[in-house]
Amino acid sequence: MEKDIAIQVKNVTKEFKVPVKGNKNTLQERFLNPFQKTHYREFIALKNLSFDVKKGEFFSVIGPNGVGKSTLLKIVSGIYVPDEGSVEVNGNLVPFLELGVGFNPELSARENVYLNGTILGLTKKELDKYIDEIFDFAELRDFADMSIKNFSSGMAVRLAFSIAIRVKSDILVLDEVLAVGDAEFQKKCYAYFDSIKGTKSILYVSHALSSVSRYSDRVLWLKEDRTYEIGDPAEILEKYKGSL
Amino acid sequence: MLSKNDIDLYKQFVKTIFKMRYKGSILGFLWVLLKPFFMFLILFVVFSSVSGQVGNLTSQQYAVYLLSGLVIYTFFQEGITWGLNSIMERAGLIVKINFKREIVVISALTMALINFGINLLIIGIIGTVLGVQFSLLGIAYILLIGVVMFLGMYGIAFFTSIWMVYVRDLAHIMELVLQLMFYASAVFFPIEMIPEQYQFIVRYNPIALFIQAVREALINQNIMNVKFVLLSLLLSIILIIIGNKYFKKKILKVAENF
Repeated sequence: MEKDIAIQVKNVTKEFKVPVKGNKNTLQERFLNPFQKTHYREFIALKNLSFDVKKGEFFSVIGPNGVGKSTLLKIVSGIYVPDEGSVEVNGNLVPFLELGVGFNPELSARENVYLNGTILGLTKKELDKYIDEIFDFAELRDFADMSIKNFSSGMAVRLAFSIAIRVKSDILVLDEVLAVGDAEFQKKCYAYFDSIKGTKSILYVSHALSSVSRYSDRVLWLKEDRTYEIGDPAEILEKYKGSL
Repeated sequence: MLSKNDIDLYKQFVKTIFKMRYKGSILGFLWVLLKPFFMFLILFVVFSSVSGQVGNLTSQQYAVYLLSGLVIYTFFQEGITWGLNSIMERAGLIVKINFKREIVVISALTMALINFGINLLIIGIIGTVLGVQFSLLGIAYILLIGVVMFLGMYGIAFFTSIWMVYVRDLAHIMELVLQLMFYASAVFFPIEMIPEQYQFIVRYNPIALFIQAVREALINQNIMNVKFVLLSLLLSIILIIIGNKYFKKKILKVAENF
C-alpha cells in the first residue's frame, strides 16, 4: 500500500443472509421443523467496492438508506469481515459509529469517562491527565459525580464528544456524529473539525449534506443498484440531489 | 500481545460488573458476603435439624463439609454461566467497536474468581469459629484447585460464549445442567447417602472430585485426588490453547450474527 494512503478498500463485497421466516436462533424451530432447511434471503450490502482515503483527507459517503453505508464503516473498522476483497488501514483507526459506546447509565459521569475512554483506546493514566479538560470542554464540571441516567441526552452526548476528541488516532470513522448538542456546542464541534482538518484522515457517513459539502475533499455516492460514484463534492452532491 | 490499554480495559470491565451487581441495594457490597453465608445457613439448619446428625459427620464437620461443597459448586456455576453469557452481554459494544474480544470473556471469569476468593474467606471465618485446624499445605492445595477450575472454565468459555450467540437455548440448557450437577456433586449430603449402584455418578464427576479434595484438605488435613487435579490442570491448558484458536476464528463472524 502506498505511503500517502490511510484506508484502502479493494473489491469489497459483503452479503448478509437474512432468514426468511423468523430467526432460527432457538432450537424450538429446529425441533418443530427438523427437515425443513432454513431459507435465507441473500441481501447484498456492498458489491465490488473499491476506493482509497488519502492521508489527511476528509472523505464522505452519501446515499439513501440501505445501500450499505454503515456496513462499509463496520468493515473498515474491523467489526465485520468482508466476504470478498480486502481492507487495509495505515495508522491508528478509531470508529465512532455511535458516541458514548459502553456508557452505563447507572454509573457516574466520571466513571463513564474512564469506561468509555478506555474502550476507545486510552489508558487510565492518559485519562487521569485529560479528565479535567474533558469536563471543561463538555461544560459539565459540576455534574462529574452525577449518574448519566440523570443527564439529558444533550449532556450525555456532549460528554461523549469531549472524550472522543481526546482519543489518539490518525484515522476517524464517523457515522453521523460530526456536531452534537445545542447550537452553541455544535459550534465548538465544528471548530474542532476545522482545527484538525488535514491532520487526520476522516471517513464520514452522513445525510447532512451541508456538512458533507463544507468539509469533504471527495465524496463517495453509494447507489441502490450497488453501483457507485466518487468525485468532487460539488459535482457528486448535485447529481445526488438530482436523483432524489 | 497485550497493550497497556488492554489491561486497563480488562480492569474497567471487571470494575463495572462489580459495581453494577450491587448498585442501588442498601447493603451494597455486603451482599457479596451475606448471600453465600445465608445460603449456607439455610442448608445447614435444614439438614442438620431434619436428621439430627448428617451421615456420620458431627455438626461441626458437616458445616465444613457443606461450606466447601457450596463454595466450589458456586464457583463452577458462576464461572460457567458468566462465561457463557459474556459475549452476548457485550453485544452492544461488540457491534460498535473493535477491541480484543477475549477481554470480555476473561473479565466475566475474573468476576467468578473474585467471588470464589471472597467465599474462601468466609470458609476461613466460619471454620475458625468452629475450631477447624487449617494446614498451610491444605490451603495451598485449595488455591491450586481454584486455579485449575478457573483455567478449565476459561477454556470452556471460549467455546460456549460463541455458541451462545447462535443457539440462545444454551442459557436454559446450562441452567438445567448446573442444577443437575448440584445434586450429582453431593454438595449438601454425604456420598454414603446415595445408593451404592449410583455412587459412580459422584465418583466420576469432576466437580464432586474437586469438592471431595477440598473437604479432605479442610476436615482431615489430607491431600487427595492429586492425580486427578494435575490431569485437570493439563487438560485445562490444552482446552485454553484449542479454545483460543477456535475463538479467534469464530469471533470474526459473531458481530453480524447477534
